[in-house]
Amino acid sequence: MVAPKQQTDRDRLRSAMPYVALILVIMPFILSTYWEGLMTRFLIFALFAMSYNVVFGYAGLLSLGHAAFFGAGGYTVAILKLHYNVDLFWISAPLGVLVATFTAALFGIIALRASGIYFLLVTFALGQMLYSLAWNVKWLNSKGMQGITGIPLPDLAIPSFTLNTTWFYYMVLIFFLISAVLLYRLVRSPYGLALVGIREDESRMEAVGYNTWLYKYTAFVISGSFAGIAGVLFVYYNFFVSPNHLGIITSFLPMVMAIMGGLGTFLGPVVGAAVFIFVENFASIFSPQRWPLILGGLFVLTILFAREGIGVYLWRLWIGVSHRFGSSKS
Amino acid sequence: MDWFVINLLNGLSWGMILFLIASGMSIVLGAMGITNLAHGAIYMVGAYMGWTVAMKWKATFGLGLLVGGFVAGLVGLAIERGLLRRLYKRPNEQVLLTFGFVYIITNLCLWIWGGWPRMPFTAEFLRGSFEILGRAYPKARVAVILVGLILAIGLWWLQDRTRMGAVVRAGMDDKETTMGLGINLDRTFTVIFFISSFIAGAAGVIGAQLLGPRTSLGLEVLLLALIVIIVGGVGSIQGALLGGILIGVIDTFGKAVFPQFAMFTMYLTMIIVLIVRPAGLLGRKV
Repeated sequence: MVAPKQQTDRDRLRSAMPYVALILVIMPFILSTYWEGLMTRFLIFALFAMSYNVVFGYAGLLSLGHAAFFGAGGYTVAILKLHYNVDLFWISAPLGVLVATFTAALFGIIALRASGIYFLLVTFALGQMLYSLAWNVKWLNSKGMQGITGIPLPDLAIPSFTLNTTWFYYMVLIFFLISAVLLYRLVRSPYGLALVGIREDESRMEAVGYNTWLYKYTAFVISGSFAGIAGVLFVYYNFFVSPNHLGIITSFLPMVMAIMGGLGTFLGPVVGAAVFIFVENFASIFSPQRWPLILGGLFVLTILFAREGIGVYLWRLWIGVSHRFGSSKS
Repeated sequence: MDWFVINLLNGLSWGMILFLIASGMSIVLGAMGITNLAHGAIYMVGAYMGWTVAMKWKATFGLGLLVGGFVAGLVGLAIERGLLRRLYKRPNEQVLLTFGFVYIITNLCLWIWGGWPRMPFTAEFLRGSFEILGRAYPKARVAVILVGLILAIGLWWLQDRTRMGAVVRAGMDDKETTMGLGINLDRTFTVIFFISSFIAGAAGVIGAQLLGPRTSLGLEVLLLALIVIIVGGVGSIQGALLGGILIGVIDTFGKAVFPQFAMFTMYLTMIIVLIVRPAGLLGRKV
């Protein structure tokens, strides 16, 4: 947890948020298409990591199967296109999120029978099961390949308007901002505080009269549905969805982003997603052969020098600097 | 009948490899509380080293086995002594750190050995086959079953009949009291981690007859290890053995009966075990 020295620090960060949003809005005017795509990718994964953070950072449940909901959302959109030729956003997207939510509701019942390290193992197992289904069932694949390809940008059914990548960036940005506000409200509410209480001492929360199972379960499902939103946006961005988007390779991402950015802090996962997406991108340009080495090295350095997360580290740095230079005035 | 026996033998030998893969990770997880996601990557290092010694340098398979195990052990030792030991009781950081090493080790292997996958290989003297029920059956597969059994007995003896095993079991139950009795638990843990990595590396060489060295092994083997640990339960040799054999046999029959659902039977078994016994078949509460 970030423990600001004064409430004013957090207030100042919060008051800076509209400016950050403004910068995100004007970005397409400044940046090339390439950067625009990268920013879209970053926002989608930031949303994914934020959703994961509700379960992992706040409720303290170490899940290793979050891609199941991300991929379920994505696959729903892809299958609607592949088999029913539906690319209307207003049908595909809500259905995608619905399927993701339903998957989370089902998996939550099974996974929450276990706790601690076993919870990690169960969520992993469930995610891998979807992965192997997607791999083996013909209906879930385009002809002659693994995964579904050829998913176009969504059709918004607005007359004389076709979505291009810039408009898609704005669409993702809107979803990101709305989700961020909703999730922020959620974790700052009494409900969110109860989740933190469960993370810190579940038996005590139970003794005080909380139905801790229900809290954990609803957090799991809510988190799954936001992961579904991220997954829906991702297939539109990526044009392609593969079994890997359901399995452990993708499940690792939000976990790594959340830990790297600062676990249990609201903006930590966003910082983690930014670091991950941009370092991955530039490391792969800088050294197409060796980028995993750079990325892996970054994880190790984070553990060594910024154990609470890069976001928390930067936050402390900023407080230190602003207090040194700004405290005489305030 | 033939079909059944052959598949059973295949399943048993595959199960023994799975046991070797999972045993070290299970003990480290149960005894030290360390989630070592780099276990598969360490296995891969062993497999590549074994290939280099036994196939490239044409030395004996036995030497390849030793070198593979030893180098993998050293890699594990370096990770544990250098970094992991600062992260006891911090699962989140362990996950990030060891997953970082999956990236690092995989890429280093790609750098050193190149991207092309190696053919499965085994010892010179195991390349022939036996007659079983009038069919030829590869010797190497039978050898794996024997080696697996011997190692299982050895590890079980280490766990239940030696001082070190007693220290580890005591440490699992109550770390503070064990250390209060003047037992150097840290050193024991380091030894355990080395042994675990050594077995992973040796398993890489033994398992090379089915899983040829390739750079995707790091994650593939991690998945297999996690599945076996889930089914068998965390923290005991018996659990890893039961889980390994069960998954090995079910996976083999699954592939023989429903080839189109190859991996699915394995995952389904895992889910059923989790629903019936969330802590695994022989698991202890962690």
